[in-house]
Amino acid sequence: MPVYQRGYRNWEQSAKRGAPPWWAIARKGISSPLGSRRFMLLLMAALVPAVVKGGFLWFAWKMGDMGNLLTGGWTDITAVGFHHFLNTQILFVAIVTTLVGSDLIAGDKREGGLALYLSRPLSVRDYIFGKGLINLFYYFMVTLFPALAICIFGYLVTRGSTGMDMLLLIPVQTILYCLFAGTVLSLTLLAISAMGTRKVFVSLWWVLLLLGTEAISQVFFFINPWLKVISFTEMIHNAGHIFYGTETTILISPYASLAIVTAWSVGAILVLRKKIQPVVVVS
Amino acid sequence: MTQNKIEVSGLNFAYAVQPVLKELSFTLEPAAIGLLGPNGSGKTTLLRALLGHLNNWSGEISFMGRDVSADGRSARKQIGWMPERGGILPGFSGVGMVAYLGELGGMPASDALQRAHEVLNFVGLADQRYRQADTYSQGMGQRLKLAQALVHDPQWLLLDEPTSGLDPQGRTAMLKLIRDLANDHDFGIILSTHLLSDVREVCSEILVLRDGNLLQHTKIESTAGTGTDMFSVEGTGETAAFILALENAGATVEVIKQVITVKLDSAQSVILQAAQQTNFSLRRMEPVTDSVEDVFFNLVDA
Repeated sequence: MPVYQRGYRNWEQSAKRGAPPWWAIARKGISSPLGSRRFMLLLMAALVPAVVKGGFLWFAWKMGDMGNLLTGGWTDITAVGFHHFLNTQILFVAIVTTLVGSDLIAGDKREGGLALYLSRPLSVRDYIFGKGLINLFYYFMVTLFPALAICIFGYLVTRGSTGMDMLLLIPVQTILYCLFAGTVLSLTLLAISAMGTRKVFVSLWWVLLLLGTEAISQVFFFINPWLKVISFTEMIHNAGHIFYGTETTILISPYASLAIVTAWSVGAILVLRKKIQPVVVVS
Repeated sequence: MTQNKIEVSGLNFAYAVQPVLKELSFTLEPAAIGLLGPNGSGKTTLLRALLGHLNNWSGEISFMGRDVSADGRSARKQIGWMPERGGILPGFSGVGMVAYLGELGGMPASDALQRAHEVLNFVGLADQRYRQADTYSQGMGQRLKLAQALVHDPQWLLLDEPTSGLDPQGRTAMLKLIRDLANDHDFGIILSTHLLSDVREVCSEILVLRDGNLLQHTKIESTAGTGTDMFSVEGTGETAAFILALENAGATVEVIKQVITVKLDSAQSVILQAAQQTNFSLRRMEPVTDSVEDVFFNLVDA
């Protein structure tokens, strides 16, 4: 019988099992922005530094002077260079995560969708995990994936002369660092999104946290070098020295930065637990 | 069918220090049940409690044999909830939103999409299913909310003011859908509303709340009177003697403009006997039925 002639019919369950709810949330959230041509262009623009870095690598290999040319800055092909490269992507991270993540929870709260989600058989943890994966995926899109592509490209182009470091050690270090940094950034963005209902409000606070604290710390660095501690991104970057086994360039120990960043994450989780409630009690 | 019951026992809940639900206890079998009460009586909060959305409540809620506090997730698999406010997710088409919520209800993606088309057809949104959901009119939005409540084929529907903001045509259509679901498909439906006429058209039972207290849970037929305990009588003859005979038989009698209202169990036989004894000629004898409105206002005003 054609569908337009049917009344209400009970669901005849197929043999397939449904996906976990967090995966349904993540899949939908990841696929939605890809429908925008502007957003795709932005993602491609975010790959330009990686392409340039790959180009440098190829050029240096051809010139036969890799050791001299590819040292220092983001063209460096050692662990330090990759760590630095990920840090230079922060502008793209800021733009992409603001576009994708600022309305993830704020939008649901604004439209009364949160209670609708939680009327389904899913937990608050599923909801946060699913939404968090969306932020994490797009963070990886502009950091981890290009970095891994450079590693593979570099190894292939230089016919293995970059050594096994480029093929194994640096990719593993990069994956661990990106997981750490991405999780911190994702949780923090979700927490800010959960604190408001307006996208503009969330976006402003997020950009201020990512770029504003770094700018302020740069200004006050000359007064007191310890004031680097107020920079959110610098603390994540500094903690990254633990993953890459490299030496910090600031006074604050990487382990102290790790503790600070962990405290940020714990704070974000507490905010999420408090703010993500199906029923809002107005006292 | 009895395993589809909702059992609530000693339910208490307070927002901060303000008690909202007080010692509620009732058992609901699948039927169309009207949840009535004045503003602030705790109707929506009770629905939220059934969904397991509240924190710091006391008592017991068992939904189809599952303890909501311990196993709220599996209880919610059998609940379709239609909220009064909000409930339209931004950035989705109608069919996209319903399918997405079906997936969140545990359905495989392909089943959810097929089912979304079916329920949108059932609620009359088949032609508008690809339109962005946040551009729907209020009436279409209400239908969409009903569709998302149905998509995962629950056993119970919790409907919070489903006809709110609808024009008369839309209201009639919505009530017809709800009535079909209750009568033809054995859904348990809890219909929270201010509109007594909606309850009268759809429901067979009512739960009446006031200030968080349960005033009454009853079938509407029994409350409204079956015609056996209250009659309106008109006739000619010795009215005073007729009334006296009725009162002697234990009836409560009211006379307003020659219309005698008699209230008593098995009133019909008592009236006939009294009329025979006093030679009172009966011209009219009709059972008096209380409307839902009468029941509600009697309870709430008491």
